[in-house]
Amino acid sequence: MFEQLFDSALVESVVRALIPILLAALGGMICDRAGVFQISLEGMMLVGAFTAVAGSYLATSATVGTVIAMAAGSAFSLVLAYGAVSRQGDPIVIGVAVNLLALGLTSFLLPQLFGVRGVFQDPRVDGLNRFPIPFLSDIPIVGPAIFRSTIPGYLAMLAVPALWVFLFRTPIGLRLRGVGERPVSAETLGVNPTQYKYAAVVASGMLCGLAGAQLALGNVVQFSENMSSGRGWIAVVAVMLGRAHPAGVLGASALFGAAEGLGFRLQGNGLPVQITDALPYVATLVALALARKRFKRILELTAA
Amino acid sequence: MAETLRASTNRVLRNPVAFSIVLSLLLGAAIIAATGTNPLLAYSEMVRGALTGSGLRNTVSRMIPIVGMALAISIPFRAGVINLGGEGQMVIGGLAGTLAAIYLPLPPVLVIPLALVAGMVAGALWALLPAIGQTALKLPILISSLLLNYPARALTGYMVRFPFADPTVTSSSTVPVPESNRIPKLALFDGVSASLVLLILLLIGVALFNLRTVPGYETRMTGLNSRFSRYGGVAVDRQVVWVMLASGGIAGMIGTHLVVGETYRFLDGDLVVSGFAWSGLLVALLARHRPGPMLAAGAFFAALQIGGLAMQRNVNVPWQIAQVLQAVVIIMIAGRFVLKARRETAAVIEGETTVTGEV
Repeated sequence: MFEQLFDSALVESVVRALIPILLAALGGMICDRAGVFQISLEGMMLVGAFTAVAGSYLATSATVGTVIAMAAGSAFSLVLAYGAVSRQGDPIVIGVAVNLLALGLTSFLLPQLFGVRGVFQDPRVDGLNRFPIPFLSDIPIVGPAIFRSTIPGYLAMLAVPALWVFLFRTPIGLRLRGVGERPVSAETLGVNPTQYKYAAVVASGMLCGLAGAQLALGNVVQFSENMSSGRGWIAVVAVMLGRAHPAGVLGASALFGAAEGLGFRLQGNGLPVQITDALPYVATLVALALARKRFKRILELTAA
Repeated sequence: MAETLRASTNRVLRNPVAFSIVLSLLLGAAIIAATGTNPLLAYSEMVRGALTGSGLRNTVSRMIPIVGMALAISIPFRAGVINLGGEGQMVIGGLAGTLAAIYLPLPPVLVIPLALVAGMVAGALWALLPAIGQTALKLPILISSLLLNYPARALTGYMVRFPFADPTVTSSSTVPVPESNRIPKLALFDGVSASLVLLILLLIGVALFNLRTVPGYETRMTGLNSRFSRYGGVAVDRQVVWVMLASGGIAGMIGTHLVVGETYRFLDGDLVVSGFAWSGLLVALLARHRPGPMLAAGAFFAALQIGGLAMQRNVNVPWQIAQVLQAVVIIMIAGRFVLKARRETAAVIEGETTVTGEV
């Protein structure tokens, strides 16, 4: 039974499920560190998925699609940045509305631009290629899953140590954390908090755009309405569970990736799709309950 | 004449809600124009489709779930509890209510109210999960209530695919509710559901509760300052539980209405696709959780959506533009996008209020 469940195909589907969540969660982590309450990861990921497919279709190039998705995610993130940072609006209200805006906008543009409803698939949409790394990709079980990935996949893996170095070993990272923890002190030292918050939000938009590209051009090659289906919210939880630390965020994302990958496998073994679909969300909730951490900040924000 | 026009234009621009609506309609026009349709044509189809012929009945019908969900969301929101799980509570309640309406072997006089009660109880129980999560385990309701939408959808999908499936159809759906057990239609607006009466009573009830009772006052106090409220002797944890129960109960009742009063079959995904829970959330924000304005804002959003559907049929512009407009209005109000010079004078004159200022 165990052998039948645990093999390289399972590891691969776990990694595949993990990458979009990890990319989005790293974006959320940067915002959290800069003291921006970021719950619009879901919407930005959806915009990324849509623009990735649109760009890839128009240019018949997955690379162009990916770059456009990152640009679109960044541009879309400015709504939250301007509303919540510059205008000091309620970040929860704006975040929820931004998610709904993304859903409305992509569902509106899908029939308007491509003349189809629900799902858009076309041979001209170029999917992301996988680039195997010689030797490493031959390692049994984990090799093909990790070292035969797409560009966004490798970027996600590299971003974990890179962001650790950035946050904890560079002056800019220190200032970013300062802005999040003690905005007034940071300002006294000549750091402009608004600039750092904007940069953090735009970075999260770019990462979510990349996550969307991986979702729509890597995991599948199509766009379907509301295809992010809660992954952005799972990423929000991953930031909380991982305590906004790159390693923690990776661990939490891996947990949710595992739940999704396992669900996918169990579905193959005959479990109804309705049950396996619910698995990642239930796993997320159970993980939250088990962690029993005090999510002070979000509780303060919602009940202050 | 010109003078009064200018004065009223100024008044509109000073009012953040009116200003945001005007600006989002302009933005929507730009989007429609950019995708190749004359926005004036699209908007006139929208108005015609929402208000004339059977459009008016459809608008009033759609108002019921939107205002109902707004009411459901507003009760915890006033206490500072953000329930993003309206959708899940609605589908769980909707399924329970539908099953009661189909299978209870009682006379219709009893079955219909019992179905509504079953929907309320099931929705309330689903909302109890995140409430306990927050009070006992310190899990933020904002996140847990949202995540529970997905298992709710999956659970109901499973129920209507397997144990309660109608074997005569290919889609995942229950059998139809027997004709005698359906919520009757009124003679009003060309046959709008009798649930409208229930909704109005509920609105009045919540309004009186908010303004005239001690717990109504206490929820508002907690929303403004939970620490002060706790200090003042309010059992905040218990409050979190009951506001969530009330919220889920109303959501479940609305879910029941949507099947037992409108579609008569619980079809998987049917209650989710129109986004009633989310429109309701935006209406609650727009109306700042006051029952009267919620009715007005709900009518506006319902008209946008029904008009949007007519626009889709007649000039082939997708109805989701209505969702875009709704979200943009809220973003602008939350971000206080008002003409700057006017905003400051307005703030001095009437004391500035914002979407979040009074939650």
